[in-house]
Amino acid sequence: MSNKAENVIELKNVKKIYRMGKERICAVDNVSFTIKKGEFCCLYGVSGSGKSTLLNLMAGIEKVTSGQIIIKGRHIHKMSERALAKFRQNNLGFVFQSYNLLNSMTALENVELPLVFKRVPTRKRKKMARNILTKVGLGSRLKHKPKEMSGGQQQRVGIARAFVSNPSIVFADEPTGNLDSKTSKEVMDLIKDMAKANNLTIVMVTHDRRLAEYADKIIHIFDGKVEKIEEFTKQAEELPPEETQEIATDVS
Amino acid sequence: MRIRDLIKMGLRNLARRKTRTILTVLGVVIGSLSIIIMVSIGQGMQQNFDKQIKELGSLTIITVRDRGYIYDEDGNYSGSVEQELNDDLVKRLKEIEHVRAVTPVLNKSVRLLTGKYEGWAYITAMDSEAFDDFDFPGLTMGEYPNQEDNSGIVFGANAVEFYDTGSRGWNWTPVDVDLEKSKIILKFQDYPTNERKKEFSVPLKNIAKMEETNGIYDWNTYMDLEYFKEIYLKYCNTLNLEDRKRAIKTLDDYTEIRLNVDNIDNVEDVQDKIKEMGFQTESDMQYLSPMIEASNTLQMVLLALGTVAMVVSAISIANTMVMSIYERTKEIGIMKVLGCVIKDIRKLFLFEAGMIGFIGGIVGNILGFIAAWLINKYGQPLFKALMSGNYMYDMTNTTFAVIPFYLPFAAIGLSVLVGVLSGYFPARRATKIRTIEAMKSEG
Repeated sequence: MSNKAENVIELKNVKKIYRMGKERICAVDNVSFTIKKGEFCCLYGVSGSGKSTLLNLMAGIEKVTSGQIIIKGRHIHKMSERALAKFRQNNLGFVFQSYNLLNSMTALENVELPLVFKRVPTRKRKKMARNILTKVGLGSRLKHKPKEMSGGQQQRVGIARAFVSNPSIVFADEPTGNLDSKTSKEVMDLIKDMAKANNLTIVMVTHDRRLAEYADKIIHIFDGKVEKIEEFTKQAEELPPEETQEIATDVS
Repeated sequence: MRIRDLIKMGLRNLARRKTRTILTVLGVVIGSLSIIIMVSIGQGMQQNFDKQIKELGSLTIITVRDRGYIYDEDGNYSGSVEQELNDDLVKRLKEIEHVRAVTPVLNKSVRLLTGKYEGWAYITAMDSEAFDDFDFPGLTMGEYPNQEDNSGIVFGANAVEFYDTGSRGWNWTPVDVDLEKSKIILKFQDYPTNERKKEFSVPLKNIAKMEETNGIYDWNTYMDLEYFKEIYLKYCNTLNLEDRKRAIKTLDDYTEIRLNVDNIDNVEDVQDKIKEMGFQTESDMQYLSPMIEASNTLQMVLLALGTVAMVVSAISIANTMVMSIYERTKEIGIMKVLGCVIKDIRKLFLFEAGMIGFIGGIVGNILGFIAAWLINKYGQPLFKALMSGNYMYDMTNTTFAVIPFYLPFAAIGLSVLVGVLSGYFPARRATKIRTIEAMKSEG
């Protein structure tokens, strides 16, 4: 009980059943685990294993069929849409595989967006967005539109957007899925650095075993169930650089 | 979201799809433009109408003259006929339904003299009770003739002017004569006086003067019919026998009979009835009614056009918004995930739809003002064409379209309302898109 306060995310017997016509597909089956504050957690599994669904459930994008999801002591599955939106504004950040930037907006405006929804005054949020974009190394591309940037740069914008409002948890769904090996590593390092600097909790979904090595904790998902949970000590985090290079080659 | 950000984002979204926005706005422009033109023409007609009432006297008055003009079906003059107007006819006219008042009228020109100054007046003698019934204007001095004392004379605001006719012929500059203080005498001049008798004259007492109306009242002088007959008979007694007979006879044949009808809408009915009795009539209404009809027709056409245009533009706004939502499904999903509350998404779409209406309304207004100006400048032939034949009404200085101060606001308000209403269901649809599906969609 003593370390319960540390548990930022807690899943209890979470089930998600899809109905496809007459068939019922159990995407997430009786999953329970906890994630501690400041932890880099990886949901690992092959495609179709239900890991993405699990992430969506945690983010409140999808509703659970049964079970409980408690994030920062709040019961996500019971919250109204409005409360969820507010909760996301204040606590959650998202990084997507396909970046999901708004093409009509510049990098700066894209990063500003979560702050716009949070009603942060213009001048303040411009400053925040500029700062974080500089931090991710895009200080010179503030006025560029997504289409004018490379994949890696777009994902940096995505990361900046996820971190700009100072969330306590960032969800990343295959953040390097569309990137080449070199950029993948850069992006992963960036996420990891930013998380560590602010003591954020990261929940990342990947099917790449070696990307999973970045994590403090790997939760193996198979057929919608938790297969096993690996926890690493501090030393295990430090991967030899050569190995990472190789991993990335497999990804594409 | 702050309002400012919402507006900025909405405007950006509209600007992103310029062509579509412009086309959609165009529909609203046509709709609001036709409504503005419609109302402004209606308003213009109303103003003309009011002006006419002032200039011509009341529109409910029908006049039967001793010389009736005959018009054919197209309203063209085709001849005239002598009509005998006597007390019997007055009685019969009184019995017609909707007739509020009837009075026989005698017209005579008289000379007015005060000191060395001379003037003329065109007397209209009618029943003193009728002054009230015919909505005569107010007086600046004196009183209307009444039951107890019917000897008064009422001058219209510009009815009488005096000139110095004394030494060295005529001086055509009017002289100011104080009607209250001067001694004015009235003389008839229809026939020469019998040499053996003293020339007849009546000193005027109880002089009254009307307010200026900018209408027919200004140029006439009114007296009570009984009193007028009384003095005219006295005058007749000073004439030669031949002339006396003829003069007395003119008192039996009235110059005209005036009727006042209870309601503008009944004027033409009553006119028809009098026509059945065999008498030609005149009313100001008959000049105005083609104009009213024309403006009504025009207004109906514009109303139909405006309504259709508004409905079509509502549909096209809805269509634009639905399209926009389909295209922006993914965007909506991203916004939701990033913490945008549903209410803001709905507001955003309603704002965009309302903005289309607003821009349409503004442009419609600008064009409306231009159109009103053009109509007033070049619209005369159109209105003349629309009014069949018998207009006698002078249109040279008429404004046909008047934009009342509330109209721009009302038109913009209506356009915005149409926009918001037609954006409502698409906006609701946008909020109902499930985030997960929105995220997966292309775009």
